[in-house]
Amino acid sequence: MWEVSAMEKTVYIRLRHRLQVRPDGIILLKDIAQVIADEDIYEPLCKLALYRVTDNDRNIVVIDVMKVIRAITKTFPKLEVQSIGPAQAIVEVVTKKRKVSLPLFLLVWFLLFIGAALAIMNFHEDVSMQAVQLRIYTIITGEVDSKPLIFQIPYSIGLGLGMIIFFNHVFKKRLNEEPSPLEVEMFNYQLDLDNYVALHENKESMKRIDDN
Amino acid sequence: MMTINVVLVMIIGFAGGLAVGSGFVAFLAVLGIIPRLTQLTKTMKMIHHYEAAVVFGALAGGLASLWNPVLFFTPYILIPLGLAAGVFVGMLAAALTEVLNVFPILAKRIGVDGKIAILLMAFVFGKVIGSLFQWIYFVNR
Repeated sequence: MWEVSAMEKTVYIRLRHRLQVRPDGIILLKDIAQVIADEDIYEPLCKLALYRVTDNDRNIVVIDVMKVIRAITKTFPKLEVQSIGPAQAIVEVVTKKRKVSLPLFLLVWFLLFIGAALAIMNFHEDVSMQAVQLRIYTIITGEVDSKPLIFQIPYSIGLGLGMIIFFNHVFKKRLNEEPSPLEVEMFNYQLDLDNYVALHENKESMKRIDDN
Repeated sequence: MMTINVVLVMIIGFAGGLAVGSGFVAFLAVLGIIPRLTQLTKTMKMIHHYEAAVVFGALAGGLASLWNPVLFFTPYILIPLGLAAGVFVGMLAAALTEVLNVFPILAKRIGVDGKIAILLMAFVFGKVIGSLFQWIYFVNR
């Protein structure tokens, strides 16, 4: 037990949103939270072990801020803990570095490629794109052409260009500094998943009548 | 009797136009193409003019499809026209896949968070090649 001199001292902690640990790793306070405390207790506080990952934990563990505060007050009874920010941290147990298998990736790429091609052809048939194009050709030039390629080829190139403009990405290179809608979408999706996990994997967050 | 018929038809036509027009605008609003374009070009202040552009474009399309005018222009005008039409439809398609949340889920499933741009290019090339294939080879066959 650490005796904190005379007066009660305040320590501020802010849980991280998400952290990764190795299996059978030990989570220390400094891993899971940002800490502000007096210099004389800062070091021992940071080294405080909160949780040991076991095989029973699958790949996600949720640590509630109450658990952290309980652990701190148990070891440092005279400290006053102020928690700021998220009420739980999501711990991701990383077994081994996930490697993307190249054949699988190529398969998905090919699938998307063929699917996109088929989808655009179906779309064109669905909205009678050819009839409209023939009519536009006749309106503009006054002639009839069953294959107005002078309209259709720029149209096809524009199709790809429009998607690139919308997503703001040409392979790795981005057209402008703002995050693309896709990145925002990925972020939101991850946030939704985290919210779900934070509430469902955390036994303290729900209390039921039958208590199980 | 005749007058009533004419008035009735006018009311029905007007109501139909109102419904289709508001539906069109709602569709554009859901997909968020105009905000995306203003964000890319940093022209937020001009957004009212973009609204006007959409309205006049819809009117022009309506007139062209009902009136069948013939303009006798050179066919080379069709190159920028086709390109613009393609970019618009491409952005519609991109916005639609985004609304449906296809990419985040797909990337999560196969674990390629970093390579999502390459997957995106599969979509882009698929659209371009599919469209070219259709117009050059597939039609009239």
